[in-house]
Amino acid sequence: MIIHANVLNYLIALAVAIILALALRLPLLPDKPMRDSWTVSAIFPTAVLAIGFYAMAYELGYQGYIVALIIGIITALFAKFILEKLVPRPETEESHE
Amino acid sequence: MNEIVGIVLAAIISWLNFVLIDTWMGLPESPGVKGAEVIGRSVKKRGGDLAGGFFQGNIVCSPDASAGTLLASIACYAIGTPEGGLIAAVLVYFGNRLCADPGYAGTTGALSITVIIFLTSFIGFKVEYFIVGMVLAILTIQGLYHTGASRLLGKLAKKMGRYTKLT
Repeated sequence: MIIHANVLNYLIALAVAIILALALRLPLLPDKPMRDSWTVSAIFPTAVLAIGFYAMAYELGYQGYIVALIIGIITALFAKFILEKLVPRPETEESHE
Repeated sequence: MNEIVGIVLAAIISWLNFVLIDTWMGLPESPGVKGAEVIGRSVKKRGGDLAGGFFQGNIVCSPDASAGTLLASIACYAIGTPEGGLIAAVLVYFGNRLCADPGYAGTTGALSITVIIFLTSFIGFKVEYFIVGMVLAILTIQGLYHTGASRLLGKLAKKMGRYTKLT
């Protein structure tokens, strides 16, 4: 199987998204215990979204360092300002204890 | 590689991938939504294990590592590796958030199977083996014998320290 993605472009999108997310005061990691945390952080989901969005752009024919850079910036802004409005956390969390 | 052998091995790999990630992410600990609780209690009433029932309920009610594994396999087949898997991870994440789930299990499952598909491609595994394999893997949990599967999942949850505290 041939890996035809440019690994460096993914790394650029990833790094730019994480750095900008941290600059926008998102925490590096979610609160502990992480598996129950709804906190939007630089690693999750910002980093995952950045490489996913770059993969979408790549498949649509937009490739290169500049595209990766722009995707990284857009992803960080999206995670900080839009994500929680688009897919909000559940309003009432039931206690099962 | 022989197709049948490949599918059987892919089913085992997929099963381990999604069951271990889902258990690690705490699916047996508590039901994420009401529907998962109903399924868990129903499985227990029929002689199954409550934690295993919650696991089964949770993977029905939101796209966890099982859905992540299947969707990433399909996307890798349709779009290519690794782009398909990465796109699937994003879609699974949004699916999770829509289902009142923070999304760790689904995205982790999608990303891990993408890595596995890439690595196993060097020893002759085709992506389609993982699509069929994952369907078979999920059949063993949800389609054959609920109570038996829930007991196995419950034992695994105990070993991994993720057994439910609910009664």
